[in-house]
Amino acid sequence: MQRFQFPVVQPDPALEELREDLQTFLKAERAAGNFQPEPECWMASSDPAFSKKMGDKGWIGLTWSSQYGGHDKTALERYIVTEETLRAGAPVGAHWIADRQHAPMLLEHGTEDQKLDILPRIAAGQCYFAIGLSEPGAGSDLANVKTKAEKVDNGWKINGQKIWSSGAHISHYMVALLRTSPADGRNRHVGLSQIMIDLSLPGVTIKPITDLSGDAHFNEVYFEDVIVPDDCLLGAEGGGWKQVTGELAMERSGPERFLSSYITLETALYQLQGKMGSDSHGRLGKIFANLRTLRGMSWGIANLLHQGISPETEAALVKDLGNRLENDCTLQVRALLNDLPVKEWSDEMRRILNIGILRSPPNTLRGGTTEVMRGITARQLGLR
Amino acid sequence: MINIDGMIAETAAKIFTDLCGRDVPHQAEAGQYPQNLWDALQDNGLPLAWVSEENGGFGASYDEVLGAIWVSAQAASPVPFVETLIANWLLDHSGMAMAEGAASFALVQNDSAAISFFGAADHIIAYTAEKNTIALYRAADLAPNDIQSLSPDGEQQIDFSAAKPLESQSTNLSQRAVEALILTVRAVQMAAAMEAALNLSIGYVSDREQFGRPLSKFQAIQHQLSVAASESAAATMAATQAASVLAKNIENPERAWHEAVVAKVQIGHSVEAVTVPFHQVHGAMGYTQEYDLHHFTRRLWAWRDSLGNEHHWGRLLGAELAVTSPDQVWKGVTTGAWVAS
Repeated sequence: MQRFQFPVVQPDPALEELREDLQTFLKAERAAGNFQPEPECWMASSDPAFSKKMGDKGWIGLTWSSQYGGHDKTALERYIVTEETLRAGAPVGAHWIADRQHAPMLLEHGTEDQKLDILPRIAAGQCYFAIGLSEPGAGSDLANVKTKAEKVDNGWKINGQKIWSSGAHISHYMVALLRTSPADGRNRHVGLSQIMIDLSLPGVTIKPITDLSGDAHFNEVYFEDVIVPDDCLLGAEGGGWKQVTGELAMERSGPERFLSSYITLETALYQLQGKMGSDSHGRLGKIFANLRTLRGMSWGIANLLHQGISPETEAALVKDLGNRLENDCTLQVRALLNDLPVKEWSDEMRRILNIGILRSPPNTLRGGTTEVMRGITARQLGLR
Repeated sequence: MINIDGMIAETAAKIFTDLCGRDVPHQAEAGQYPQNLWDALQDNGLPLAWVSEENGGFGASYDEVLGAIWVSAQAASPVPFVETLIANWLLDHSGMAMAEGAASFALVQNDSAAISFFGAADHIIAYTAEKNTIALYRAADLAPNDIQSLSPDGEQQIDFSAAKPLESQSTNLSQRAVEALILTVRAVQMAAAMEAALNLSIGYVSDREQFGRPLSKFQAIQHQLSVAASESAAATMAATQAASVLAKNIENPERAWHEAVVAKVQIGHSVEAVTVPFHQVHGAMGYTQEYDLHHFTRRLWAWRDSLGNEHHWGRLLGAELAVTSPDQVWKGVTTGAWVAS
């Protein structure tokens, strides 16, 4: 038997052309000083002007129909765009979440009016979404959601608080997991629904939370008697839990789970050309082998998803391995840099390495903690 | 791909299921060589699977043969099936006639080589990169020096300086071609052994009760095996990737060298990450001769050293990457394409 199956998918020449276009654009933008590369850019580096340029290039909304401002391409094209922007450390945080998960959610559950109104703006890099899952009492125990949506005439009235919502301060909408009816005894998974909330509505208060490095990219979001219309309920009332866990499984194997610190390694490679000793060679060989292998797994899963197959276990494994690799990548760079006297480190090298270290803790938290991932894997192995 | 559903792998699976049950590796280690297992493999022509048809083999694809190799590793095969496949591949690729019986191979450096399964081999096929030669020796004509092997398959050090081959000729096989094949085969064996040991561990913790419940219900146990499962899955990916590149480069196996080295480094480094939890969850039972786990873990410890350990190969790979442009390194990550800068 073979327990884990990853298809090996050869590179597609058409996709490689797209990759070259991305590389040309990203190099030019960086050279022009339009962005400074950073690790964890998809979460922590946002620049609406840059997102608009990506939209103008046709690199957001690749997967949906041109009828809604999309580009009629596949998830594989989107994969190439995401991995190239991650590699470059480009400021893609503003549009990332809307492009990755909320646009597909609207395509599936939104009304025709919502699709016509919102999707073209997302594809243009001008409309951003925040995730509304965590609450002060609901983190890894996501089902402990307390924020409520009560049915009122022609809509829903929302009261409560979300937390750790990345980018909410610049986002136009949040899709929140809310309690729309009581739990059924001990089954807390019933009665949860996903509702889209316009963040400019009265009663919404957004308070940035400063992270340990002094950046403020995540937020507390308060709702006080916020009224949203009926059609903002996405999917079935009470079906929120199933929708959310399904979405999480889809997004756990993407390149942002193992390439977020590649910019740190690549910057070091430029610094260390021809200067590495044999200890560093060994470290570089190992990190490369890990990257190549994870890329194979992630790309294999992307191709399965493209065919409509959702390999949940393999996706959870990729996230656990990938998050460990991201942090290891940063740590290995520290060791590699011993081959260069400290005074020869470029300012950029130091800046990127420091950001990488400071931004490392949430790698193994967001999108499901390492502990949650290992629990999922254990269940699939038949241990729970 | 590693095709475990192909005809070759299915034939191998039937033979190993029938003749290599859980007692057989134990008995082999106690000195009862399973001659009937070897005879069945040979009667079905499996050790010649890679040999071209004009040379008397099946000319089977890499996918299919690597599938059979996967199967043999999960059965903890105590016979030199894989070694004979490699030996015959070397002969066939050098235009030489097949060796009779069981064989093993030697990569000779400075007139010396360590040979696994020497004791079970009738012939030894030696590749010497320095001279570009392939030589066929009768095992009985060689003077073995027993080296303490981690593997139950045994390993002997041979001094070839005065040895007389039955036949020797020059070969077009490059060192990298030979390494690509052997590293890929070992990667497949290791990934398969990791998975077999994972399955054994899952079964054990599900049955064994402590503190009034199965070990599998303890989160500390679940998480250890989850980590081992992720490393095992990565090993399967690395081996599959190397296998695919090899299959695409039948005429130029040296083109598969980089992916084979990647697999070697990836899997070699993950051996500790799997064998530690496998043994830990088994407690003292996994440390006994009586139990089956060591059939896999000892081979993993031996195979990670074969042809040099993961640190050696990591340095070779890294040394190339260190003088390659970062653009090419990235291309290597994303496409596996290697172009020297």
